[in-house]
Amino acid sequence: MESPALLDLSAVAKTFGDTVVLSPTDLAIAEGSFVSIVGPSGCGKSTLFNIIAGLLAPDAGDVRLEGRSVIGATGHVGYMLQKDLLVPWCTVEDNITMAARLTRKVTAADRDEARHIAERYGLGDYLNHYPQALSGGMRQRVAFMRTLVTHHQLLLLDEPFGALDAQTRLDMQLWLLDVWRETGRTVLFITHDVDESIFLSDRILVMSPRPGRIVADLENTLARPREIDVLTDPTFVDLKSQVLHLLYGGRR
Amino acid sequence: MRWRVVGKVLLPVVSIALLLLLWEVAVIVSHVQSYIVPRPLASIQAVTGNWGNLSPLVYGIIRETIFGFLGGAVLGFCFGVVMSKVGWVQKLLYPQLILSQAVPVIAIAFPLVAILGFNSIRPIIAIVIWTVFFPVTVNVFDGLAHVDQDLLNLAKVYGASKWRTFWLIEVPASVSPLFSGLKIGATYAITGAFIGELVSPQGSSLAQTVNTANGHDSPATVFGLTMLLAVIGVTFFLAVTWAEVLATPWQRRPVARRSRRHRIATPRNDQ
Repeated sequence: MESPALLDLSAVAKTFGDTVVLSPTDLAIAEGSFVSIVGPSGCGKSTLFNIIAGLLAPDAGDVRLEGRSVIGATGHVGYMLQKDLLVPWCTVEDNITMAARLTRKVTAADRDEARHIAERYGLGDYLNHYPQALSGGMRQRVAFMRTLVTHHQLLLLDEPFGALDAQTRLDMQLWLLDVWRETGRTVLFITHDVDESIFLSDRILVMSPRPGRIVADLENTLARPREIDVLTDPTFVDLKSQVLHLLYGGRR
Repeated sequence: MRWRVVGKVLLPVVSIALLLLLWEVAVIVSHVQSYIVPRPLASIQAVTGNWGNLSPLVYGIIRETIFGFLGGAVLGFCFGVVMSKVGWVQKLLYPQLILSQAVPVIAIAFPLVAILGFNSIRPIIAIVIWTVFFPVTVNVFDGLAHVDQDLLNLAKVYGASKWRTFWLIEVPASVSPLFSGLKIGATYAITGAFIGELVSPQGSSLAQTVNTANGHDSPATVFGLTMLLAVIGVTFFLAVTWAEVLATPWQRRPVARRSRRHRIATPRNDQ
């Protein structure tokens, strides 16, 4: 990595009982990059996220964000799961400002920002709606806006589009790439979907279970901005076959 | 829309009217003596005809029911919250609370009157609280135990304080279970008040009047007042249900009312 790393993990390890969920792992993530993590369940990817986010303390190793150790701390990353986790009794606007409301008094500026971002990304007419009135795709958008307005440079997205249908998922991927380009955030993105990981990211980390570890770190040289037609680009197909091979070995 | 109103309001009314009609007809056809089972119309008249004397007693039992219900709701909610937040309190308190419900209220009613005063409404309210708090506690406790753990983790990742997480996520999440408990409590409350009045020797009360009417072969008064108590109980239940509708707008409407906060409406494109 030429640019200094935004996030730096050194020898981070975690064991639950007899199971090594994460064997000592080093990882550096450059600011502004989009990095995907693919791997079967049990490979430690969610554990890795929880350690970075501060929900879990590693047994060993250090996690540094912008040079500071963040072990045992929270409130330093944006975080989003497959479940949108929108609060049903709050309107879209109040859901977007949720992080602010949970940590301090909400200001007019917070509400203005929520309104602005919702309008910017096509949900301006839904600020007063309750989440249950929205479609799955719209709800994930709101969840992502809630993640964005935390103003953290690093966003951890754990299979955010996993529950959406294929059509909506593709729309959301294109939308996410737009937002990412506009906001210059750094994204760590967990997915089961190999196509998704290649379509979105600059780097693909392939993980493997028992013990959980990173088995490959692949660079994706596909040009940006990417449109749907890269899905059939030879580079894409080549990368996909590499990842599939790493995930499934020689199985046929 | 109109048919839904018919289904919601008209059908229950028709159902109750039919029950009364069936009762009236059954009494007439079977030639049961009126001192055994009076006709419903005669029962209603026994109450309306004596309304001047009965009304203060009716207001009295309503007052006891409301005070006891509110007391039980607050106490029940507090128990539920404290038990879910403090493990050792839960272990200490829960067996006691279950025990309190295993004891028949009618058995504990006399000692309560002796303890809290013979000429006071305090024992009556205490008995209502006794019958109301438990379903509230159990529901609030369960509700708080089932708040989505991922949501609580998300709040943690944001760096939320425990206090704010409690007020902004856990308390609102327990509103629906709270109302489930309150609805059960609302139907118990009037029975609790009646038992309280029955065992409390204080002057005159509705329960004492029913008791006296029983002894004086005035079944019309007994049946009439019983019907009135049922109406009060149902009204109470409906009031709590209505309060739930007001307290949980997100369950019924897609869009929040705009009244709160000084907000300028975003311009809408309603072409």
